[in-house]
Amino acid sequence: MTMIREYHRPANLEDALALLAESGARPIAGGTVVNARPNTEPVDVVDLQALGLDEVRADGDRLELGAMVRLQDLMESESVPGLLRELAGREAPSTLRRAATVGGTVAAADPESELLAGLLVFDAGVTVAHSMGSESIPLAELLADQSRLHLGIITSVSVAVGGDATAERTGRTPADRPIVMAVARRGEDGEVRLALTGVSSTPVLAEPSKVAELAPPADFRGSGEYRKELARVLSGRVLGRLGESA
Amino acid sequence: MKTTLTVNGVERTFACEPHESLKTVLRREGYYSVRFGSETGETGAAAVLVDGALVSAEVLLAAQAGGHAVETVEGLSPGRGLDPIQEAFIVTGAIQSGYSTPAMILAAKALIEENPNPTEGQVRDALTGVLDRETGYLRPVEAILRAAAVLRGEDVEPVDAWLIPALTGPEADGPADLTRPLGPGPASAPRVIASPEVPETSVVGRGERKVDAIKLAKGRPAFTDDFEIRGMLYAKMLYSPHAHARIVSIDDSRARALPGVHAVLHHENVERVRYASGGQSYPNPLPHDQVSFDNKVRHVGDRVAAVAADSLEIAEEAVSLIDVTYEVLPAVFDELEAITGDAPVIHDEDDMEGAHDAARNIVHHMDAMVGDVEEGFARADQVFEQTYRVHQVQQCPIEPHISISYLDSDERLVIRTSTQVPFHVRRMVAPLLGLSVKDIRIIKPRIGGGFGAKQEMLIEDIVGHLTLATGHPVRLELNRQEEFMSSRTRHPQTITYKTGVNDDGVLVSQSMRLIGNSGAYGTHALTVQQVSGLRGLSSYNCPNKRFDCDVAYTNIPVPGAYRGYGAPQALFALEAHMEDIAIELGMDAMEFRRLNWTKVGDPLDIATALGEGAADIDVVPVVTSSGLEECVAQGERAIGWHRLKDPAWISPPDRPHIRRGIGFAMCMHGTGIPGLDMGAASIKINDDGSFNVLFGATDLGTGADTVLGQIAAEVLGVPLSDIVVYAADTDMTPFDVGAYASSTTYVSGMAVKRAAEEVRRQITERVALMLDLDSPGEVDLTDRRAFAADGRSVGLDEVALHSLHQDQQHQIMATASYVSPESPPPYAAQYAEVEVDVETGQVTVKALVMAVDCGVPINPITSAGQVEGGMIQALGYGHCEEMAYDESGRMVNPRFGPYKIYRADEMPRIEAYLVQTMEKSGPFGAKAIAEIPKDGVAPAIRNAIGNATGAWINQIPFTPERVWRALSAG
Repeated sequence: MTMIREYHRPANLEDALALLAESGARPIAGGTVVNARPNTEPVDVVDLQALGLDEVRADGDRLELGAMVRLQDLMESESVPGLLRELAGREAPSTLRRAATVGGTVAAADPESELLAGLLVFDAGVTVAHSMGSESIPLAELLADQSRLHLGIITSVSVAVGGDATAERTGRTPADRPIVMAVARRGEDGEVRLALTGVSSTPVLAEPSKVAELAPPADFRGSGEYRKELARVLSGRVLGRLGESA
Repeated sequence: MKTTLTVNGVERTFACEPHESLKTVLRREGYYSVRFGSETGETGAAAVLVDGALVSAEVLLAAQAGGHAVETVEGLSPGRGLDPIQEAFIVTGAIQSGYSTPAMILAAKALIEENPNPTEGQVRDALTGVLDRETGYLRPVEAILRAAAVLRGEDVEPVDAWLIPALTGPEADGPADLTRPLGPGPASAPRVIASPEVPETSVVGRGERKVDAIKLAKGRPAFTDDFEIRGMLYAKMLYSPHAHARIVSIDDSRARALPGVHAVLHHENVERVRYASGGQSYPNPLPHDQVSFDNKVRHVGDRVAAVAADSLEIAEEAVSLIDVTYEVLPAVFDELEAITGDAPVIHDEDDMEGAHDAARNIVHHMDAMVGDVEEGFARADQVFEQTYRVHQVQQCPIEPHISISYLDSDERLVIRTSTQVPFHVRRMVAPLLGLSVKDIRIIKPRIGGGFGAKQEMLIEDIVGHLTLATGHPVRLELNRQEEFMSSRTRHPQTITYKTGVNDDGVLVSQSMRLIGNSGAYGTHALTVQQVSGLRGLSSYNCPNKRFDCDVAYTNIPVPGAYRGYGAPQALFALEAHMEDIAIELGMDAMEFRRLNWTKVGDPLDIATALGEGAADIDVVPVVTSSGLEECVAQGERAIGWHRLKDPAWISPPDRPHIRRGIGFAMCMHGTGIPGLDMGAASIKINDDGSFNVLFGATDLGTGADTVLGQIAAEVLGVPLSDIVVYAADTDMTPFDVGAYASSTTYVSGMAVKRAAEEVRRQITERVALMLDLDSPGEVDLTDRRAFAADGRSVGLDEVALHSLHQDQQHQIMATASYVSPESPPPYAAQYAEVEVDVETGQVTVKALVMAVDCGVPINPITSAGQVEGGMIQALGYGHCEEMAYDESGRMVNPRFGPYKIYRADEMPRIEAYLVQTMEKSGPFGAKAIAEIPKDGVAPAIRNAIGNATGAWINQIPFTPERVWRALSAG
């Protein structure tokens, strides 16, 4: 377990941001990732549970997911697109997804997260509050440059709704973290987005025509060559289902 | 800091550190039902309800829980009664070790409160966070569905055996149509195919509640760690970061100087005493190649030093302050490379005893022959040869290794430990500690699974040394990463079969060349590989057989005993090889096997050339009972074997990249180690006519205490509730070798039966005295009464009072022991159905069916549970589990998830069939059942993939890339 020097539970966002700025403390949402890490340097933690931030709200033609919305609530929320609900359920088992949150999932940036891949094709934008104010960062940009979270707190994740979306995956077992997963969505504007896990250091958006150019990293579950073939096959399947060709 | 929360309805304020998990704080406050499973939270053994939601307390800070309502199982039924969910878990047989049962019960509670009428899918989803290594989830799911029904006010049927008519033999009703499925039976009912040879019994053969069910269902303090003692120190080990290195120097001064540190032990301050850690009978098989602390390390995770300190945090910090200088040596990991003569020498110490050729890293060499294989190959019409490889996996008990030691008031050393072999541990640890056996007491409380990993004297010497060094109680618990890298695993092997066959399919000659990988030490190296040879050359008749085996030292973490013990490796190779030969011969694979498999009366001749352990077998054993034909028929119907003939089923037109297949493997195992395994039991009567039954046999969640209690109850004519079982405490109970080799029901069961028969004899004498009978032999014990032939009877309570208090006073009691001259094989038919994605190589296992001839199942519910859970462990072996390493020999996936074990929502359909035979040598007809479920799943999946796609793969596990490469090559 992480060595935690001090525990704070601020009542509002301003206090939370001030604590981050003062002590370099790190925010924790559900804690399922941070608390599972082995001993590292001692840190202070700022628990975000009292900040609210746990609503799913319509925001024009989009949906705003509060950063503290639990994965279980995302799964059960009828206003959330079906595929994202399914991916929230696949993200963690029953004992963890009632603690784990949408914001925590974004901050953890797990390279194998199916939910992050799903959020990418739903055009997710992440609102990050800093002491100087808030900014909205496209999820793809944030995953590529996680330093943009420094001293900031994710307050919400905005996603598109509607359109058609579908996913395909290959894993050792049905509930395994996929070796490679492909998810594609045609938005109501007709634009098609494709995202993949298992081909890069984070889930990534990929141009359908450029899947063949990927150079995935290897691990014991899949060589680079195999992952590249999975990316091709699985992208082809999801795009095919949307009537597109890879 | 302080945290205030409501626990089970009561507001409590606890002192805690900011980094402490809710689990740590709850356990410290006595909520022992919240249990450690992994530092990263995936096992869910520590799940609690927070504001009604199921949450892993391992990765939730106690501080985060402040202000919230927490529920644990302790709050469910505080008095003597049971909550309906607990009741349902007991009657369905959902509890095996019970370690994670509280978490499952809380998952059920949260689900049913939110949704009183959950579907099976919803139940499985609710259990996804509680990993189970024991039941295969089948009975926990049934328990939750049943509890929901009860809570809705519905009537539920009692759980009892579902008697299924035989399909073969004289009992069968004509030729059976195996294409017609049996249809769903009563929920939770174990499927039993009864044999007319089996006599009527009243307690044996029934699905009795487990005798330890109450404490397990209620989360009572029952396991090693559920224990409080003042002044306890926490131990932590320093493990090697290198696969192979010499320790040039150890400087422990900074660690010793840390306040709160009581002892730091390593090779410079602990006496060098040789031993072999495998928990086996005296004299422990060679080599004796271990010492408590060595000046050399031989795998990443090998022991370097141990610390005892006031807290775990201090101990961890002290470990980081030990300065070790290593001379890193070249390492070798592959068994074939290790024995070439050019590899680094792993055991170059001059005081090591008993390796075959340490300079070539060969621990053991075995060569056993029946007939003349070369002559046989020359004579055979055709000869086939193929090499198969099996890999390394870990047992993964959800409760890791844990021991607590202390000096009692007589200054004897007491070790409370999670072990399968308490008596072996006592004898083996004594010389390491410089003590006599009489100075040591080993207590085995409830065990959260072992599966062979705990057939080992693994950490008891460490806590013993630390207690003797400090005078304090000491606790050492491995975390999950340590359990993977520093405990025990399954032996990898490379197996080459060469088989000569005549054109009519009759086997003429068969040789098995096996290279075993024993890792850094030779524990269990001899006997695991012997069992591979025994099982690999006993299933089929063949006049000429040879087992030719080398076992290699390498620098991987140490293999040892793992349920199945050499048989799963051998049977993967054998049942793949037999399938391949049948295809080459153009024969039906089942007919080819049937032509050759051993039947009643056939000799098991390789056994005399091999044996297991120190036992020499002079007489060639023969098969005395076999229900294999019935197993094949039941399994064939249950899996839907006929679909293999339907091309549209194999290649569904609407799913072009999918191929379906079904595979078969025949299994045969042993029942105890003949001439070696000994169990003993004592039974005494109490004033009320109840009985204390004491034995050394070690229930590690299997239900052994219950089964042995049932045997005593049957003989003594009382219900199981009149039997008080106490077991596995070296001060209190008679000896038993412990829980391994599928021996407990058969060997310890016979000891209990004999002790009970002697008690029955004493009772009949007493009844004769009470009733003035001439011939006491006519007394019959039934329904708690003793009936004389003339119809008069006395209650057993009257018998007890008369004998203890009234006339010619005498304690009716007896002790008996048993060692079996035989090891009658259980047989089984294992089937698997798969779907293969031919573009990606992904294999999805859709169904596993096993029909087992285990003789007479003493308890059909616990027996079925052994098969269901065993198959799922075996599924992991064949399909998805693997210990993966980087180039330096460090395991890269020592965590659940990356090390993948099946969870509740991804299970195939699983069905177990118990085919009765009457094994005359066993107690009430019983043979073994616990290990055979491990033997056939991997080859059945392999053969199913082959039948689906034409790709026959000779290495497990069948992970997607391996299958994709095989498909691409084909």
